[in-house]
Parts: sequence; structure tokens; C-alpha cells
Amino acid sequence: MVVGFAIVAAWEIVTAAGVVGFRKPIYNALSLVANMLGLAVLFLMLNAQFLFAAQLIVYAGAVMVLFVFIIALINPESDVALPRRGTEWIYGAVFGVIFAALLVTLLFNRGLTGRPGTLTPEAIAAVGNVQTVGVALYTKFLFPVEVTSLLLLIAAVGAVYLAMRRVR
Amino acid sequence: MDTLALLVLLTPLAGFIVNALFGRLLPRRIVGWIGAGSIGLAFVLALLALSQVLGGHRLDQTYFTWWQSADFNVPFNLYLDQLSTLMILVITGVGFLIHVYSIGYMREDPGYSRFFAYMNLFVFTMLLLVLSGNLLWLIIGWAGVGLSSYLLIGFWFERTSAVFAARKAFVMNTIGDVGMVFAAFLIFLNLRVLDYQGLFSRVHQLPKGGGVITAICLLLLLGAVAKSAQLPLHTWLPDAMEGPTPVSALIHAATMVTAGVYLVARMHLLYDWAPTAAATVAVIGGVTALYAATIGTAQIDIKRILAYSTMSQIGYMFLAVGIGAYTAGMFHFMTHAFFKALLFLAAGNVIHAFHEDQDIRHMGNLRAGLPITFWTFLIGTLSISGFPLLAGFFSKDEIIRGALSAAGGEYVLGILALITAGLTAFYMFRLFIVAFGWEWLAHDDRHLHEALPVQTIPIVILAAGAVVGGYIPVASFLSPVFGQPAEVGTLAFWGLAGLTLAASAVGFAVAYVLYARRPELAVAWRTRLGPIFTLVEHKYYVDELYDRVFVRPCLALARFLNDIVEPRVIDGAVNGIADFFLLEAREFRLIQTGRVSSYALWTLGGAIGIVLVVAGFLGYLPVRLGG
Amino acid sequence: MPVPAYSFLLLSGVLFTMGAVGFLIRRNPLVVFMCIELMLNAVNLAFVAISRYLNSLDGVIFAFLVITVAAAEVVVGIAIIVQVYRAGRPMDVDDLDLMKE
Repeated sequence: MVVGFAIVAAWEIVTAAGVVGFRKPIYNALSLVANMLGLAVLFLMLNAQFLFAAQLIVYAGAVMVLFVFIIALINPESDVALPRRGTEWIYGAVFGVIFAALLVTLLFNRGLTGRPGTLTPEAIAAVGNVQTVGVALYTKFLFPVEVTSLLLLIAAVGAVYLAMRRVR
Repeated sequence: MDTLALLVLLTPLAGFIVNALFGRLLPRRIVGWIGAGSIGLAFVLALLALSQVLGGHRLDQTYFTWWQSADFNVPFNLYLDQLSTLMILVITGVGFLIHVYSIGYMREDPGYSRFFAYMNLFVFTMLLLVLSGNLLWLIIGWAGVGLSSYLLIGFWFERTSAVFAARKAFVMNTIGDVGMVFAAFLIFLNLRVLDYQGLFSRVHQLPKGGGVITAICLLLLLGAVAKSAQLPLHTWLPDAMEGPTPVSALIHAATMVTAGVYLVARMHLLYDWAPTAAATVAVIGGVTALYAATIGTAQIDIKRILAYSTMSQIGYMFLAVGIGAYTAGMFHFMTHAFFKALLFLAAGNVIHAFHEDQDIRHMGNLRAGLPITFWTFLIGTLSISGFPLLAGFFSKDEIIRGALSAAGGEYVLGILALITAGLTAFYMFRLFIVAFGWEWLAHDDRHLHEALPVQTIPIVILAAGAVVGGYIPVASFLSPVFGQPAEVGTLAFWGLAGLTLAASAVGFAVAYVLYARRPELAVAWRTRLGPIFTLVEHKYYVDELYDRVFVRPCLALARFLNDIVEPRVIDGAVNGIADFFLLEAREFRLIQTGRVSSYALWTLGGAIGIVLVVAGFLGYLPVRLGG
Repeated sequence: MPVPAYSFLLLSGVLFTMGAVGFLIRRNPLVVFMCIELMLNAVNLAFVAISRYLNSLDGVIFAFLVITVAAAEVVVGIAIIVQVYRAGRPMDVDDLDLMKE
């Protein structure tokens, strides 16, 4: 188990570096797809089977496909060729350092301080992961679900509107 | 009886409202008769109240609770006893006559309706002051008469001198008002009541002669001194002569300026309980009386002489109530109202005849031209000088008797009063002789004509009052309130009366010699007395002193505040705050670069900040944040 | 569970940092978007990890909602970027500063 985690973690970090680092956008996109696949595996390790499927279908399967299509359509150039303005990368470096520091503090606070709930993996397995998630979605989290659906509607309308605008 | 009191109060108010709102639209006759009639009606009602009071009824009636919070309970109540009955009779009676006179006197003035409106307002507020049953409403009436006085002094508002005079009067009155209000504070603080009933019953809880009660009485005295133009807050009264003559007669002779005397008399239980304060009252009265009388001898404006005379006579009243002779003081108030109003109104006739010239040196020999005015003014002069058997004789004598026969050091004041009596006779006869003349001109080219009957009849009535007023049994009338006045032995009685008479006679004689017989002696004496004369003539330079000490520094301060503090400090602070925000906004605006990356930067920075803060609260940081 | 919770959290943090750095540095809007997606994913990982270790499903649900919202956001963002492209402007976030004060 630990070994599996180590492998997947390494995969994650490498692909993330790829997302950030590649020059050609198409490579960035493909790296992101790989990253998401790794993430799905992690979800599986964390006993979130429903999310594993959702991640693959929605995120990797739909969102990233959209990304790839657009990149193929637009074929933008790499931005690394553009003259770089000197200062921004310093900020990035600084923030990187700060975040690293935060992460290090995380190393020294290893416990989770939240209150444990009742749904142990066994309890969930008894009912079924999807069923449990579904029940929670439609009872405890009903309001967020409704709001999110509204948000999707708005996004769809917005996207259509934006696409239909005549470009001056 | 309670409705009666209320109606007495409200009829002048009704007159004011009608004349104020509709006066411009109504014909002059109606305005005048509404103005005078409302006061006349009030007088009739006051007479009815008198009949009730004589029958032994008193009134302390609460009509409604005006202000109540915790134990601060101020009702609107009216208090009608012998003292207030006397006051309202004089106010409405003399007031009515003066209003009638004004119908004639002010007939050519464009502000006719405004005049009557203000006059009615004055009577209303004066009655409110006198009828009030608690200190707070008295103060309200007090402020009201101050307002009316301001409006009426500055009646001819196009005249700068009138406006300044009105302002001066108001400012000095306000000083007194502050005293009154603080006295009310002290009273409520210590006794938790402001109405007379409660106040009078609880006064004895305070230590006699103690600091608290003395402070209260002195603060009230401050108000009285300002309102009654006694030293040191007296300088506004001569200036107040800028107002029309009926105003001077009503407000600055007969009634408003006597409000201070009324106040002390009404609060007599308090002053009995604070001997130091009462002594202060008497001393101020005595000194003012003498002071004003000396100034009066050197003035040449007919109204100013009468103004200083008023100041002096009120000094007598203050003296009386200060030494505890309340009845004597109120008696003199009544007789003074008669002859002073008479003198002013008659003077008004003279002023009109000389087309608003008030310099007595330009007058003289008026017996033929203004006969009624001449004889009535003479009666008034005789009365105020203490001519035997006229009203002034009785009332003045009573005060002097009270002072000289008292146990303690009051006799000094009595001597001052005697000297003042002599001076009074002197300056009044000086005035009469110079202004009205002793000769009978064979033939007068000046085309003077006597005033209208509507003006002369009230004067005649007042003259009658000045003659027989002394026989009104004021002392026994007021005895339920103040107790019986102290008796003196017959020898002392007649002896003191003789002394008073002698003083007046001396004054008259000197005036007669200097002005009627040998005018050149008057001139000689003036040059002899040189600097003293100038001092007196300039009112002891008090106005100049006040100007230097108070007015100029105050103006300088005002200028400083206006020119420096206001633009730099206050505006600076306000603008500074605005500028600060503007500056900040300008700086922060630069964050809006429009570039996603810089926005991202700021967002990230903020996120880190939040994480740090939360971590701090949760205790993850070395620094202790929150609880 | 042999793998301790903090490892997942640490991984999540590292991924998030990398996404943030890329987001700040890169100038191609599409790449910037992808970095945003990376950050969101990292957060999802953290949610799910904590949810698992605290025996609850709340984190999972939340991650699911995050996915949904991310999808919506991508749609609108892509539409904007396409419009920018069609307008002929350079695909450079530093140049797209029309919302500048």
C-alpha cells in the first residue's frame, strides 16, 4: 500500500511539473490528463469509488477533452518565446518558498484535529459507496446541489452568449 | 378659579397669534383694539381672580404633566396667590393702558401690527413667568420676556443702534439665564423638586445659611440682576431706550425689569434661609440705586434720565426684598409701575411733539402747548420724588423705614437710600424744569400740539394711580404670603417720614435754584466739578470697561476661531480625513492593473495571509493569536 | 491504514504550490487555466483524504461539487479565451488588461 502510494505520488508530481513546465500547450494539456488519472487512482485508494468514477468521466473525460479540442482548434503559440518581463517570476519563486514553508509546518503537525464521524469504510461498504453518497447529496447537501445546478445553467447560458457575440 | 387663571394667561396669547398671523391683512383699528383688548380682557379676568383671592382662595393647579422622566417631574401648573395676583393686576392693568396709548402713538408706524403682536407676546410671557407654579416654567417665561424685549428694542431694525442695543440686552440677559438654570440644577440636585409647593416645603432640609442654599440664591440673583438691570449687568437698560416709548414704558419700567424683584419675593423662603445671599441682594440694590441716581443727574436725553431713574428705583426694590421687607418692595413696585409708566408715556408725547428729538435742552415751556402732558408729568415727578401723600412718598418711605429701623447693619443701606431719595428729587425736577419749563409762554411759535385722547386718557388714569396708589392696602393684602411687616414706634415712624421728606425737599430745592432761578450757577458748578462731572456723565465708563475687558477679547477670540481654527483645524481635519481616503484610494487603485497575473498574486498573498491568521488562532504559530 | 493522512495532505500541498507557481508565471491563458485546474484538483485530494481519515463523506461530496463548479468555470473561461482569439488579440494574459483602472 505504501509503495503504491509512493509510485502514484511520484507520478502526480512529475505530471504536475509537466503541466507547469512544457512549452507547447498541447503537452501541458496531456500532462494534466495524466495528472487527473493519477488523482483518480488516489481517490480509489481513499475508498472514494464514486469520486474516482466522477473524476474520470467528468473531469478527465469531458473537461480535459474540451481543453484539448480548443488547443487543437486555436493552436496558440507557446508563450515562452514571448519577451519575458523580468519581475513576475520572482514573485512566483517567493510564493513557492512560502508555500514550501507552510508545507513544512504541515510536516510537524501530523494529526488531524477534526472530530471523527461515523461512516467508517466498513459502514459505507455495507450500504454501498454510491448509495451513501447519493443519500447524502439529496438530504444533507440538497441546497448546495440545487445551487450548483443553477450555476451550471448560468454557465451554459453565459457560454452560449459569449460564443454568439459578433467579434468586432 | 383654575380656568380663570388659564384664561388670563391665554387671552394675550390669542391676541398675539391673531395679530401675528393676520395683522397685516386687518385694518389698523382692528389690530390696535385686538392688541389692547386682549390685555383689557385679561385685566378684567384678573379682577375676577382678585375677588376670589380676596375671599381667601389660592390656586395651585396642575393642568398636565409636561415632562416626566424618572423622578424629574415638571408639570404645567399655575400658582395664584396674593403675590401673583398683585403682579398680574399691575401687568394687565398698566399694560392695558399702555396698549391703548400705543394705538395713538404708533399710528404712523409701518410695523403697526408687528408691534402689537410683540407686545401681546410680551404680556403673555410675563404672565407665564408670574403665574407659573414651578421654577422651570418661570424660566421659560423668563426667556420669553427676554425674547420679547429683544424683538421690541430692535423694533426699528433698520437702525443699527437699535439692533446693537437689542443684542446687548439679550446677551446680558442670557448671562442671567445661565445663573437661573444652574440654580434650578442645584435645587433639583438637592431637593428633587422644582415646583413651588414641593420646593417651599423642602427648603428647610438644607442647612440654613449653608453653601448650597447660598449658591442657589446667588445664582437666582444673577438672573434677577441681569433682568432688572442692576449692577453689574445694568448697561443694557439705557441702550434699550432705542425701542419705541411704549416699550420702554411697559417692559423697561413697569414690568419686565421688575421680574427680578418678583423672583426674589417669590423665593423669599429661600432667601430667608440664606442670609448672606439676601444681604447681597440688598447691597446690590442700594448701591445701584445711588449709582444710577448720580448718573441720572448728568444726562440730557429724556428717556435716558427715566431709564436711570428706573434702575435706581428697582435698586430700592432690591434693597427692600434683600432686607426682608418684601411687602415694602412689592408696594414700591406697584407705585413705581404707575408713575414710571406715566412718566414714560408723557415723555412719549413730548418726543412726538418735537419730532423724535429727545434732547431736553431743546425743549422747555410746554405748559401751553401740551397742557395735559405737562400736568400729568408734573404729578409723576412729584410722586417719584416723594411729595407727601402721593403714592411714591408712601412706598419709598416704607423702604427707608424698613432699612433704617432694622436690627443689623442695614442702616447703612438706609442712609444710601436717603441720599438717593434726595438725588431722585433733584434729577427728576431738573428734568421737569428743563424739559417742561416753569414759565408760561405768552405765545409759542413752535406749533406744538397735544397728543390724541387715546394717548392722554391712559396717562391721566395712570396719574390718578400715582396719586392715590399709596392708599391701596398692599401690605395687608400680601400678609398671607409674607407675614406682617415689622412695626415701628410712632416716633420712629414720623421721624423717618420726616427724614425722607427732608431729603426730597433738599433735592427739589437744589434743582429749583440751579435750573429755574439761576441757570448760570448750574454751569458754574459743572465746570467746578469738571472731571467728576465727566465721570458721571459717561456713566462711570462702565460700558467702556466692559468693552475692553469682555467684548474685545471675545471678538478677538471669535476672529481667531473664524480665521485660524475653522479653516485650518476643523476644515483641515475634515478635509484631511477625506484626503487621506482619497490618497489611499489612489494608491490602491494601482492594484487594478487588469493583468491576471498580478491579480493572482494579490489573491495568493491574501490567501496566505488568511492561512497564517487561522493557523495563529489555532495555535500552530509561535505567536499567540486570539484566545 | 498504513499510509498516514499527512502524506496525502503533503502531496496535495505540493501539487497546489506547483499549480500556483505556474499560474503566476505562465502567460498563455490556456496554460494558466490548466494550472488553475491543477490547484483545484489538489484541493479535491485534500478534501477526500481528510474525509476518509475522519470517517465521513462530507469531503467527498464537497469535492464532487468542486468538480461540477470547475466544469462550469472551464466552459465560461474557454468561451472568453476563444473570443479573445477571434478578436485577434495576442494570447498573453499580461496583455489582456482592459479591466485596468
